[in-house]
Amino acid sequence: MASGSVVQEQAVNEKLTDETMSLILDSLQINLGGSELFSPVSLTVEAGQILTVMGPSGCGKSTLLASICGNLDPGFSLSGTIQLGDRILNNIPMEQRRIGILFQDDLLFPHLDVFGNMAFGLPSILTMEQKRERINSALAMAGLSGFERRDIGTLSGGQKARVSLLRSLLAEPEAILLDEPFSKLDKQLRQNIREFVFQQITKLAIPALLVTHDADDAPEGNILELKNGNYHA
Amino acid sequence: MGRGIGERLAQKIQSLTFLMVGQNRNPLQFFPYLTIAAFLAPIILGLVGTWLPAFGYLPIIGADDFTLQSYRELLAHPSLPGALRSTLISGLSATLISLFLSLWITAHLYGTAFWSFIQRTLAPLLAIPHAAFALGLTFLIAPSGWLIRLFSPGLTGFVFPPDWATTRDPLAISLTITMIFKEVPFLLLMTIGALNQLDIKRTVWVGRSLGFQKFKVWMRLVIPQLYPMLRLPVLAVLAYSLSVVDLALIIGPSLPPPLAVLIDRWFNDPDLSMRLIGAAGATLLFIVITFFIGVFIVVEHVVAMLTRPRLLNGLRHSWWGQMKSTATLAAVTVITTTGLSLFLLSLWSVAKNWRFPDALPRHLSLFYWTKSLPLIVEPFLTAAAVGLSSAVIAIILVLGCLENELHLSRSKIDSISQKSILIIYLPLLIPQIGFLFGIQTIVTNLHIEGSWFSLIWVHLVFVLPYIFLTLATTYRNYDQRYVQVATILSGSSLHSFFRVKVVMLTKPILFSLAVGFAVSIAQYLPTLYVGAGRFATITTETVSLASGSDRRVIAVYALCQFLLPFLVYSLAIWLPALLFRNRQLMKN
Repeated sequence: MASGSVVQEQAVNEKLTDETMSLILDSLQINLGGSELFSPVSLTVEAGQILTVMGPSGCGKSTLLASICGNLDPGFSLSGTIQLGDRILNNIPMEQRRIGILFQDDLLFPHLDVFGNMAFGLPSILTMEQKRERINSALAMAGLSGFERRDIGTLSGGQKARVSLLRSLLAEPEAILLDEPFSKLDKQLRQNIREFVFQQITKLAIPALLVTHDADDAPEGNILELKNGNYHA
Repeated sequence: MGRGIGERLAQKIQSLTFLMVGQNRNPLQFFPYLTIAAFLAPIILGLVGTWLPAFGYLPIIGADDFTLQSYRELLAHPSLPGALRSTLISGLSATLISLFLSLWITAHLYGTAFWSFIQRTLAPLLAIPHAAFALGLTFLIAPSGWLIRLFSPGLTGFVFPPDWATTRDPLAISLTITMIFKEVPFLLLMTIGALNQLDIKRTVWVGRSLGFQKFKVWMRLVIPQLYPMLRLPVLAVLAYSLSVVDLALIIGPSLPPPLAVLIDRWFNDPDLSMRLIGAAGATLLFIVITFFIGVFIVVEHVVAMLTRPRLLNGLRHSWWGQMKSTATLAAVTVITTTGLSLFLLSLWSVAKNWRFPDALPRHLSLFYWTKSLPLIVEPFLTAAAVGLSSAVIAIILVLGCLENELHLSRSKIDSISQKSILIIYLPLLIPQIGFLFGIQTIVTNLHIEGSWFSLIWVHLVFVLPYIFLTLATTYRNYDQRYVQVATILSGSSLHSFFRVKVVMLTKPILFSLAVGFAVSIAQYLPTLYVGAGRFATITTETVSLASGSDRRVIAVYALCQFLLPFLVYSLAIWLPALLFRNRQLMKN
């Protein structure tokens, strides 16, 4: 039992290679109580690319993200294949998929300060000094230098959004899912944070899926529209 | 800075002015004062009424000199070391193990199908009064109990009960186990309430997406947020476990008994001078509990400080995370043992002849039911009346306090009453035996001893905190915009309160009423001390029978004691389900 844990721990620590990978959905379908949420989805999101998923409420956008992340509620079933690089993710537990997620709420951990939140997902092989360096440089890049020891309750909405994104990215995910992350921000802030998020994803060269109701949030590129059980890429 | 202090002072004055003499007089303002008065008066008077005799002053028995003689006699008493030892062993172990088990079960099983089952079984588990459960457990684990009968004589060779101390053992292990079985469901209930305030689903999702095993996410992200919300219930469990009397009388050691039982004996000793030693003992117990509450809080901070670096060490997996089966086993053990205890009470109540080592009675009969029922009716109805009265009064006071709190927060008034309302929890943290003697002395001097008023009042002191504890969170989380819409539509805030808010909150209000009722039913010492022998409830009768009556009679009484809270809990669950059976959104 313990050796299995060690292997998993090593897998987490071995990340941070230069290889880039794609997220591939092949005939992916989600079923609830015998009915399909949408027709089979087949697509490829290349490294550094952001695919926007749009559609009316209840069409299955967030459920699609949950299925990719490995967090489908009981009652839902999944067919088709989810592949990240050369790994088939279907039967891999959520914590081993290496897929980050960002919600519209920042979900920063209230018992930890900014440093604690960002250090939380860093690989365990790093020394505290290495962790500090990474966090400081990430904060500097986000214009948040000196915020390490700030209580998250004292941050503004935009600052929280940036810390939340940095926390996800510092854990070195191989793909990232964005579940309406800008919907609670005001117009000006929304634009700034959007640009910041897209820059980081391009820089890290990881595939990303963005769920949104707002066409303004969609970056240039592919849009997947889930509507009436069908999808249009 | 000076300006800040000035502003705060002005705000305080404004707050006080608003509360006391403001032109926009808020009728709700009296609720916190009324509630606090209902508490502070008996507790403070009760403590003073206990501390004075502890220092030798009890004029009613002719003791009117302040002296430390009672403490000298207490400390020299041969039973004291043993009593303290069993008190500390049972109280501290029961609290720590119950806390550990409830968190272990939650961390491993939350969100599973079995967790849903545990949630459904909590109400019946909590409905079983401590005394009834202890009696059922005694029928299970005693040397002549069902467990040994099951394997005798075939596997054990016993044709007579063995001479084992499986109950009433000197180290109070059986008492500890009994308390664990009762406190784990209570802490699980409090945990569920606290978890509703956290976004567990997405917190776990974020944690796991960062690569952490589910158990690690619980240990590092959920429990640090959860524990502060459990602090008060845990301290209440600690105070209760260190001062329990009825359970200790049934299943605890007797030579010497735990300190609370010893104090109770001294208070009821025919030699009136022993009351002074009893008062000194009650004061000592108060100090012991206060000390350990302090220790608990300090240790909690030290543990948080020491474990903080571990929170950030990045290790994603733990061997402990693969021990889900142990959590399942713990939950199954609590549920099945409680179920078995209830089953044995039922079996004993209809047994005609049930000799050792038979696993089942040879003949069944309703003889002991028909024999006992006429005697049970009065204590049964007394308990029901006191329980219902105190629970209903408590609900009204709690609703008033919570509405007042809402009113003040809307008026942007930094409410002193809002903070001082925390005093409500005092009775949970102070040992009953530590102030009941004082209350008894005072109600005697006021000539209201043995009256319905004093009995309901003293029950209210213990019922109200539990109602506040179970209702406050849900009530505070209620979306007040519903009331705003209703008030705009109906033009009456009172109408919208009763026709919209109270109706929407029927389920939690009825559930907390059931909790309060069950707390009242379980009260043993308050009824004895303030009832002045004029009131017997089903609990006082059951506990007094437990020491030497026929098992079949005890079983009938214990089942009747269980029946009352069970009925009210069932009503609290089924009534809203029935009323709102066609309302999808009212089901949560």
